[in-house]
Amino acid sequence: MNTANKEDREVHKSAQDIINQLSVILRTAQIHDPGNIAVTTAIDRFLLLINPLIESERSITLELIGEFFYINDSRIRYSLEYLLNFDFLVREFKKREIGSVMFKDEIKPDDLKTFLKAFITSGFSDAPYEKMLEDMEESQSIEIGRLKKVKEGEEIDTRKIIKKTYFNAVSYAKGVMTKIKSGEKVNIRKAKRIIETMVDQLLEEEQLLLSMTAIKDYDEYTYHHSVNVSILSIALGQRLGLSKKILTELGLVALFHDIGKVEIPYEILNKSTNFTDDEWILMKRHPVWGVRAILKLRGFDTTTMRSSIVAFEHHMNYDFSGYPKVRNYTELDLYSRMVSLADQYDAMTSSRVYSRIPMTPDKALSIMMERAGTQLDPLLFKFFINMVGVFPIGTLVLLDTKELGLVYESDVVFADRPRVLIIIDSKGERVEGPVVNLTEKDEAGKYLRSIVKTLDPNKYKINLAEYLL
Amino acid sequence: MEPSEDIEDIKDIKDAKEILQNLVKAKKTLRMYPQNNPVYLKTLEDSYMKFKSFFDYKENLMLKIKQNSIFYDSEQIYYNPEKEDNMALLFFKDGLRELTFEKGLPQEELEEFLRIIAKDFDREAVDDDIVTLLWEKDFQNIRYIVDEAFLVDVDEEDYETKVESEVKEKITGVEDLMRAYADGFKEEDVKGISIVPLTDKDLQMLVKELEKDSSDKTEKLITVLFEMVYQSEGINDLEDTFMFLKDAIKFSMKHGEIYTVLNVMKRSKEMLEDPLLTEYAKEYIRILFLYLGTEEIISLLAEILDSGIEIDEKVFEKFVEVLDKNAITPLVKFLGELKTIHARKRVIEILIFLGRKDIQAIAKGLDDHRWYVVRNIIYILRKIGDKRAIEYLLRTVRHGDIRVRKEVIRALGELGGREVVQTLRECLDDPDTEVRIASARAFGSIGSEAAKKIILEKVSDKIFKDRDFEEKKEFYEVLSRWKDAEVFDFLIRSLKKKSFFSRTKNYENMACAAFSLGLLGDKDALPILYKYKDSNNKLLREFSSTAIKRIEYSQ
Repeated sequence: MNTANKEDREVHKSAQDIINQLSVILRTAQIHDPGNIAVTTAIDRFLLLINPLIESERSITLELIGEFFYINDSRIRYSLEYLLNFDFLVREFKKREIGSVMFKDEIKPDDLKTFLKAFITSGFSDAPYEKMLEDMEESQSIEIGRLKKVKEGEEIDTRKIIKKTYFNAVSYAKGVMTKIKSGEKVNIRKAKRIIETMVDQLLEEEQLLLSMTAIKDYDEYTYHHSVNVSILSIALGQRLGLSKKILTELGLVALFHDIGKVEIPYEILNKSTNFTDDEWILMKRHPVWGVRAILKLRGFDTTTMRSSIVAFEHHMNYDFSGYPKVRNYTELDLYSRMVSLADQYDAMTSSRVYSRIPMTPDKALSIMMERAGTQLDPLLFKFFINMVGVFPIGTLVLLDTKELGLVYESDVVFADRPRVLIIIDSKGERVEGPVVNLTEKDEAGKYLRSIVKTLDPNKYKINLAEYLL
Repeated sequence: MEPSEDIEDIKDIKDAKEILQNLVKAKKTLRMYPQNNPVYLKTLEDSYMKFKSFFDYKENLMLKIKQNSIFYDSEQIYYNPEKEDNMALLFFKDGLRELTFEKGLPQEELEEFLRIIAKDFDREAVDDDIVTLLWEKDFQNIRYIVDEAFLVDVDEEDYETKVESEVKEKITGVEDLMRAYADGFKEEDVKGISIVPLTDKDLQMLVKELEKDSSDKTEKLITVLFEMVYQSEGINDLEDTFMFLKDAIKFSMKHGEIYTVLNVMKRSKEMLEDPLLTEYAKEYIRILFLYLGTEEIISLLAEILDSGIEIDEKVFEKFVEVLDKNAITPLVKFLGELKTIHARKRVIEILIFLGRKDIQAIAKGLDDHRWYVVRNIIYILRKIGDKRAIEYLLRTVRHGDIRVRKEVIRALGELGGREVVQTLRECLDDPDTEVRIASARAFGSIGSEAAKKIILEKVSDKIFKDRDFEEKKEFYEVLSRWKDAEVFDFLIRSLKKKSFFSRTKNYENMACAAFSLGLLGDKDALPILYKYKDSNNKLLREFSSTAIKRIEYSQ
């Protein structure tokens, strides 16, 4: 084994352990008295982890940027075993507007007890960050910093980059289908590069890339659908704690899931009315055609194998009630079950795939919830709904403040409290923004805004692209 | 600028240039030599030292990449207008525009980097470009900037602008918006989807799912392909599906998964018995069985066997059972190319099994230009034991290699039959001792009266006495196979035979007769053997003693 890699992995594991243990301490301290053995044991374990690192690095800074933790500027990947504790810590940090905690010198149990006390007390304050800062004024070895808000200019630049990636991917998907139709060779290296960029962006700016999938009003929706399913699948995979390399494979497999549709005439694929029985028969052939297209495209390798399996299985359903009907089958592939969730969600919320009437994202989710356990994998659905949120991006919502808005970003921690772009203000006037955060509370600790109704943007011909692109 | 700074800059550029020259050299060396080779190790060490000394006074080395040149600090430090072996082009063509090595770059990371650039991206079946490989490694001390523009086809360059303006064309009308706003108040309140929080049990289940998912997917795809056989709508569909099944077999063989191939064939066999399957499809299944015996697959089998991968005995046996006789010719071909004894032994076992189905196909191997292949084929024919092989074997009796001749004589002996006697008889007079001995043994194997007479005749010949002791001993040993009075009497006579000339040679004959009597095991020979036990001749004394012991112990 490569020594450097091994060392890196060990350091990374230590970093994960530190975050996890801090979460354990805070959870325990919320239940028990600081002097309780459960708390002191947790503190001792934390000190054993952090002090050697402080000694070698001089200081350790734990920082929350977006939805991810960084330790001394290195992003610490979620690992499955720590998922719940990481999420807890993100939530608690956000609640207190804490962006960073710096540990320096040797940390003593009393230093940590001061930190704990300040942390817990601040949770009941209206100005939690200021309260915590005040309580920790005396602390020499632990310092906290406020949660940074993304600067508007930076966000616009990032959005531009992400938009570029998205359209590159769509353009590539279109190119692939065209090339397959005309029997030309397809460059798979390009596909990998595009997916890698999407994986990187999902890790950094999940919400921005997900927002691209909310716009469904394109003329050539088939290509957008392939990319959307790829993005949603990667995002789901990221929630499952899959590695970057595996996410790339998953993204690639998802991108090709509908490749069998190249055999279906354009007029049928894009017709504005419902399919006839004969057209449905044709549509139901696309999984088999997909396998054929993929295996003809490239020789056998692990990615083509998985792509073929997913192309074949993505409409079969968890309970095998879908198509194609099979004889000797035991279980659907994990990727197929993941892609199936992404595919159904994107298909239901668009107007051109299968259903002629698009659904609102929340309506689609509630139907999917009914299907969880029959057509859809119930376990994966839990992760999926946590990923897209109760009110997914693009949902048209009326707030209790009489403001009308579009869900702009989901919140990783508070799934029912997204960021909303206001398009009609409380006076009933059309506006362009601002983007409001539904997790914000007033001085009495009451939420400033909450969603009371959801509406179908399609019914009112609201063009999401106008707001989200 | 201070003169000292000027000098420092010149040194930077000189050092950066050297690093790059070193990278060019390392790219070639790492491609040529294995990882444990001293040249490889030295090149790696040299490259590392160059970086290390650069980082003694610099925090990083940032290289700007153009199509045919590489710049450091706006100085061109590399230029190559050629397409071949162009380091700049290697990076540039995949969109890499800036490459930065950070201080602290460990040797392991540098080695990984060098191994990436050393790949032959044009010739090797590499699915990844250089940026993908760098991305997958997730280097801590090597950063890069890429231009993604090349990912878009030239005719799709303005795709984003075009689609964006199209999709934004339908501006949301104020009236529609206001209607939505008004309707919003009439809508039902959101019931909300109750988010079920993830529990520890969910995570445990997920861990199990992920563990399960790490298994090989070939079998799964094969299941899909078999389902597709039933989904086929015409001959073209079937043709495609069976082509994929062939690919699956090839892929599995390449990865040493004989068990998977066996499963494919097992399922194919079951399908042959399925009354619901069309005759067309069944014909393709039969072709699939034949595919296993093609040179393409047998060559992969040869690789597996040579690699020393452990194969379950039962799996291997079953695999051999599904092979058809068309595998014989490629198996014979690869028999001569295998590198290990173990692999050759395995192929010989298969050929013995398959050869029964087609002796002629096996016998073609007798024409191989490699003596050891011919010898193996003779061995195989001998083990098969089919007399139809004799006509082919007789042709190789005059083979140029003594080892082949010995083997064929042995085979002919074991196969027996009148047609081999004359040839073997001629071999008894061969100028080569080993051939003569082999022929004598072959007659022993035949064991007929005629064979006995021929050997008796040979050892009775006057000139036989003058042959080497070992050869004579072999002939007498062969004689002992006929445990009858004729041979017994002959041996007694030989033992008693006196001679005034060539006494040493005569004693040798007597010793051989004593030895043979011992093997014969007749106790009537004991009195005379006791007599010679005290002979003045050491050889006769020893052989008589041994014979006595053998007879007495066997009683």
